[in-house]
Amino acid sequence: MSFDKKFNRRDLLKTSAAVGAAGVTTLAMPSVLRAAEPDKPSELIIRAWGGPWVEALKKGVSDPFTEKTGIRIKHDLTEDNEIQPKVWAAVAQNRTPPIHINWDTTTNATKSALRGVCEDLSDLSNIAGTTDLAKPVGVDGYPIVNTYGYVYVLAYRPSAFPDGAPKSYHDLLADKFQGRVAFYNDGIGFHFPAQVAGGGKLEDIPGNMAACWEFVEKMKAQNPLLGEDPDFVTWFQKGEIDAACTISTNALGAKKNGVDLAWTVPEEGAKFDTDGLWIPKGHSESDLYWAKEYINSALTKEAQQVWLDGLGLPGVVEGLTPPPGVPVPDPSYPTKPEDFDRLIRISGQVQVENESEWFSKFKQIMQG
Amino acid sequence: MRKYRTSYPISWRIMDVLEAAFASIWPKGGGKYTPYLMLAPAILLVGALVVGLLYIGDSSLRVLDRSTFLFSDHWTIENYKRAFSESFTLTVIWRSLLGAFIVTFFTLLLAFPYAYVMVRTSSSFLRKFLLIALFLPFFIGQVVRAYGWLIILGSQGIVNDALGLVGVEPIRLLFNYPAVLFGLIQYMLPFGVLMLAPAMTAIPEEVEAASGSLGANWIKTLWYVIIPMAKPGIIGAGLVVLTLSLTDFAMPAILGGGSQDFIANAIYDQFFRTSDQGFGSALTIILIGIGSMMVGLIFMVFGAGTLALGSEKK
Repeated sequence: MSFDKKFNRRDLLKTSAAVGAAGVTTLAMPSVLRAAEPDKPSELIIRAWGGPWVEALKKGVSDPFTEKTGIRIKHDLTEDNEIQPKVWAAVAQNRTPPIHINWDTTTNATKSALRGVCEDLSDLSNIAGTTDLAKPVGVDGYPIVNTYGYVYVLAYRPSAFPDGAPKSYHDLLADKFQGRVAFYNDGIGFHFPAQVAGGGKLEDIPGNMAACWEFVEKMKAQNPLLGEDPDFVTWFQKGEIDAACTISTNALGAKKNGVDLAWTVPEEGAKFDTDGLWIPKGHSESDLYWAKEYINSALTKEAQQVWLDGLGLPGVVEGLTPPPGVPVPDPSYPTKPEDFDRLIRISGQVQVENESEWFSKFKQIMQG
Repeated sequence: MRKYRTSYPISWRIMDVLEAAFASIWPKGGGKYTPYLMLAPAILLVGALVVGLLYIGDSSLRVLDRSTFLFSDHWTIENYKRAFSESFTLTVIWRSLLGAFIVTFFTLLLAFPYAYVMVRTSSSFLRKFLLIALFLPFFIGQVVRAYGWLIILGSQGIVNDALGLVGVEPIRLLFNYPAVLFGLIQYMLPFGVLMLAPAMTAIPEEVEAASGSLGANWIKTLWYVIIPMAKPGIIGAGLVVLTLSLTDFAMPAILGGGSQDFIANAIYDQFFRTSDQGFGSALTIILIGIGSMMVGLIFMVFGAGTLALGSEKK
C-alpha cells in the first residue's frame, strides 16, 4: 500500500487544513473548555446570602446549572464574613475548604485575593462577553469575577419629603429628622459621600478624610440609627426612620413589602460597589472544573437576567432588561457610562487597607 | 424493705466497673497518684480552654499586614498599644464595665425578693407560678427575647400604642443605653434568682422567727440576719450576672441599634468584619483580663469562703 494510493495531494491538503483549523480552534478555546470534562461531583456548595438573595441565585443560576449538568447545588447560608476565617484556615492547613464557591462582596473577596487563597478565573470563556464591571479593581487578573453592581442610595419615605426627593445629605440635618435617619453601623456607603458633603475631595481618599469626619460629626447630632441590611427594611416598615443610606436592594425589598419608599443618588454622589464569585484553593481538579463551570454559567445573559431580576441590580453583561420597580434611566441602576458620573467607585485594595480605620473612626464619632 | 437498686446505686456500679478496668490496666494501683488521676477529666476540660487561650494570646501578638492579609511572623505588642490608645476601644470597655455593674446591681435588687418569696411562700400555687415564670424564659433564646422587646418597645409597639391612647406621641424607647441595660436585666434575672434560691433555702425560717421574737422588725431582720446569711448566694449571683453581662453580645447588638457596642461586639467586628484576628484576639485577652480581675477583686474583698468554698475570708 503506497502513500500515493492512500493519500493524494488533495487529501493531504484537506487533512492538513482540518488539523490546522482544529488546532487553531483548540488554541482559541479557553483552557477550561479545552480540558476533557472530568468526573462530576455529586454536589457543589455555594455560600450565599439568605432570603430573596439565595432565592434569586437558585432560580437564575443554581437550578439551571443542576438541570444542565445533574450536579446538585447546596447553598450554605453562613455569612460571608463568618465563612472567611474558616476558608482561610482550611487553605492554610491544606484542607478542603468548606465551600466550593463564595458569593461575596468584592471588598471582602479582595482580602482573600490579596491573601492568595483564590483560584484564578481568567480562563472562564464567558468573561469575554462581560463589561468592565466584571473585572475586580486593584488586583491582578480574575481571582474574583464581579457579577453585578449596587449603589448605596439615599432611600427615603416620600411622605417625609413633601417638596420632593432630598437633593443632598445636608437635607437630613433638618430638625425634623432627629432620630429619623439611619446608616450602616460602620458607616459603609456613607464615608465617601460624606467626604464630598463635608467639602472635601474624593482624590484625597484615603490620605485626608477630615472633611468626611467633620460631616459625620454633624450627622451624629441627628442621633441616627445604625444597623445592618435587615434592620433598614424593618425600620422603614415599622415607621422608625424616614431616610437611610442603604443599598438599593433593601429599598426595593421594602417597597415590594408595601412600604411607600423611593430612593435617589444625592448631589454628593453615591458609593458604587460590586459583589462577585470566587473559588477557594484546595479543591480537587474535578471539583474546581465544575465550580468554574458554575461561575461561567452565572455570566450568561440568561442567568444574569433571572438572577438580577430578583435582586433589582445591574449585571455585567450587555442587553439585560431592568426588572420592574427599578427606576430607569437612573444612576441607582447604572447601565450607561454617564450613569457612573454620579457614582463613587474606590478600588477594593484601598478599601481593604483602610476600612478598619474608617469603621473605627465612624463608630467612635457615633458612639463616643 | 429497701430495693436493691436504691441501696446500691447505678453510679456505684459504674465506679466498680471503672475500678476493675483500672486494676486490669494497672494492677499495682495508682497509690498516692490516684486522686490526681481522678482530676484528669477536669484537667482535660480546663486544658482545652487553656490551649485555646494560648492560641488567642499568640494571635494577639501578631499584626495584620493589610497588603497580604497575613499576620506578622514576629511578636509585637502593637495590638495592645492600639487598644489602649484608640478612644473607641476605651469607650467600649468603659461602657461594658459600667453596664455590667448597673445590670448586676438591679438584677440582684429584683432577684432577691423574687427568690425570697419563691422559697418562703406557703402557697404552692404561687411557688409553682414563680418557678414557671422563672424557667419559661430559659426556653426562649436571648435573641428571640431581644426581638420581643423590639416589638413591645418599638415606635409602633404595644407600649407606644398604650401611650397613644392617652394622647402621648410615640417616643423612642429603643436603640439607646437604657434599652440595652433593660434587656440585659430581664435576661439576667432568672440567673440571679437561680443562684440566690439555694442560699435562701439554706436559711432556716426559725432564725427569722428568733430575730422577730428578740424584737427586730422585718427591716432589721432582713439587714442583720437574712442578707448576711444569704451572702454566698448574693456573691455567686453577682459574679455570674457580672461576667455574663460584661461579655454579652446580642442585647447591645439588637437593642442598642448599632450605637451601644460592648466589648464582645467590638471583638466580633475585628474577627469577622475587618478580618483583623490579631486585634480581635488582643481585645479578647483584655476582656478576659478585666473579667478575671473583677472576679479576683470580689474574692479579695469577700473571700472565697463566702461562696462556701470551704475556707474563711483570707
